[in-house]
Amino acid sequence: MKTKTLLAALAASSMLAIGLAGHALAAPVTLTYWSGFTGGDKQAYLDLIKKFNDTHPDIQVDYQLQPWDSIAQKLPTAIISGSGPDLATPDYNVATIQQYVANGLALPLDDLIPQVGQGVLPQAVIDSFSVGGKLYAAPANYATLLLYYNKDMLKTGGIAAPPKTMAELQDYAVKLSSGQGQYGIALADNATIQMWPVLIWSDGGDLIANKCSALADPKTIATVEKWSGLIRDKKISPVGSTGQDADNLFAAGKAAFEINGPWAAGQYKSAGVNFGVAPVPVGDSGKPVTLASTVPTIVSSKTQHPKEAQIFLAWWLSKDTQVQLSTAAAYAPSRNDMGNDPSITSNPTVAAFAAQVPYARLYLPTEKDFAKIDTGIFIPAIQSAEQNGNAAEALKAANDQLNQLLGCP
Amino acid sequence: MIVATIERPQRRWAHSRSGPLFLLPSALIIATFVLYPIAQSLWMSLHDWSMFQVTHPFVGLANYAELIRDRRFWNALLNTIVFTVATVPVQVIVGLLLAIALSRSRWWAVFLRSVYFFPVISSFATMAIVWRFLLSADVGPTASWLRALGITPLDWLHSTVWALPAIIMVGLWKNIGFTMVILLAALQDVPESLTEAAVLDGATRWQRFIHVTIPSIRHALLFTSVIAVIASLQVFDQVYVMTRGGPLFHTETLVTYMYEQGFTEYRSGYAAAIAWVLFVLIMLVSIVQLRLFRYADVD
Repeated sequence: MKTKTLLAALAASSMLAIGLAGHALAAPVTLTYWSGFTGGDKQAYLDLIKKFNDTHPDIQVDYQLQPWDSIAQKLPTAIISGSGPDLATPDYNVATIQQYVANGLALPLDDLIPQVGQGVLPQAVIDSFSVGGKLYAAPANYATLLLYYNKDMLKTGGIAAPPKTMAELQDYAVKLSSGQGQYGIALADNATIQMWPVLIWSDGGDLIANKCSALADPKTIATVEKWSGLIRDKKISPVGSTGQDADNLFAAGKAAFEINGPWAAGQYKSAGVNFGVAPVPVGDSGKPVTLASTVPTIVSSKTQHPKEAQIFLAWWLSKDTQVQLSTAAAYAPSRNDMGNDPSITSNPTVAAFAAQVPYARLYLPTEKDFAKIDTGIFIPAIQSAEQNGNAAEALKAANDQLNQLLGCP
Repeated sequence: MIVATIERPQRRWAHSRSGPLFLLPSALIIATFVLYPIAQSLWMSLHDWSMFQVTHPFVGLANYAELIRDRRFWNALLNTIVFTVATVPVQVIVGLLLAIALSRSRWWAVFLRSVYFFPVISSFATMAIVWRFLLSADVGPTASWLRALGITPLDWLHSTVWALPAIIMVGLWKNIGFTMVILLAALQDVPESLTEAAVLDGATRWQRFIHVTIPSIRHALLFTSVIAVIASLQVFDQVYVMTRGGPLFHTETLVTYMYEQGFTEYRSGYAAAIAWVLFVLIMLVSIVQLRLFRYADVD
């Protein structure tokens, strides 16, 4: 009787153990992902997450959309307290990840490159997402800026083709400005995807060079003087516009040109603007240049599932996923090796944005004092030049402030 | 007699025990969501506190010392004071005039009361977006109408001269209805006997207004002006939505600057120091207001 009981107990416990093991094998890992993509590209992301969940029964992503402000306010403390997500887009300004890395809140993604492949991610991404030779974030998207132009306004103004040089852009902008509510260009200086840095770079100037301020560089001053002078004297653009102001102006058919990313195309289409896109004109430097914009996804240092999180990121960066994201939201692929991919080249809008990848630069990608430099020093200098016509004086003052912040003489 | 002396202290004790128990739920909520954050923010203001860090080094009064040298802080303080000085008197005086004008019970007065009160119940963030369009020199109906009339519209929100007046105007639009409603209620309570007595004594309408109406609604005037000052010193919504403090910091206020330091630059300790300066400022101004209005309580 005793032996029988013992055997029965053994059988029952082994069955339970098998059952538990089976359950453990079957239970999918759930990754929580805080994301800020609530704009026009929201659906493209939702569709991709659904596709991942449908094709990965063992890993499920719980995708939680939140406003960018809300993520910025909650994410650091959530990670520190252990209640944060496994994956997150901390900010649309790439420099923010420096703070996360410096304080040990982001995990190095050592497993990612072996899965994605060496040399596949754009160098600008690698440079800005790496600290001490380790990669700490993956690009959730990768966008470049193009020159949007209103075809009807150009035609009315007798301009046959979009400008190829900055000198042409300035001429056309002057020609197409009425001084009475019609502007040659919608040039935003604050709360915007950065437009002024593109103008500065195209003439060979810069904000920071060799880790010190380049705001007082003669080329930087000359560019800001030229454009702010045209804004003040020829009224080619309103003064002090936000990105939203500039978008509204172009969407209302009251601005002939605007430098903007792929996300803007949808709203211009629905506003009924007859527009085209062209590469940003070449400036005095003679080299094409535009702005790159990428949003980092980090893996929380407190995640219980680092391996699964990197499997998800590798899937995100796979060719198929990138084709789907590019087609749905006109982003350039976040990979170097898809420039000649037929699914990219066959879509003229996507192809136009993707063609700019080699010339695209990120704005202040690794400055941990990004906000201070951007909203506290650079934007006020540009606004002062626009409002008061004192470009050289404003940039020299900003140069001193920036050098002090960067610890330069 | 003996029984009574024994019972009375017992009843008092029962009263004193149940009182705090009734207060406990509210006291707990206030302690958790008001007192604790106030104390915590004071503690944070004495530290180099960042949301990113687990450790927060104690820096004593260094954040406050930095505030003294910070030109953006002084600029934000000045803008906040200008906003308050321009807003509060207009809000109280116009609110009072509207309350007097609409105190009759005619249908149009009732309708207009609702019209003036409507901005108070609307979402300020949404309304600020609407105002951005209305004040735009390029996009929006006002600009089109003005241009159609041959008038060049003013670019309010991008002008270093006109941005702050525009913010003040929108603040008044939003809050005058609140002052009006409080003062309307107070006007209904002015004792008719006093007015009649004044009429019998031969007082003119102006004399009745100054010597009967105003003293009778003194407490409502005090309440509305204290609330208006506090709300003005904390101005944030319309600035954040309409100008983000620009152009060139001409509309940056203490709270928008505090927000930027706290949530854009992640300097929670420094932002807490700004919050404490604002707290002390509001307390001082409120004390002065209460003192100024107290003189007449002697009567």
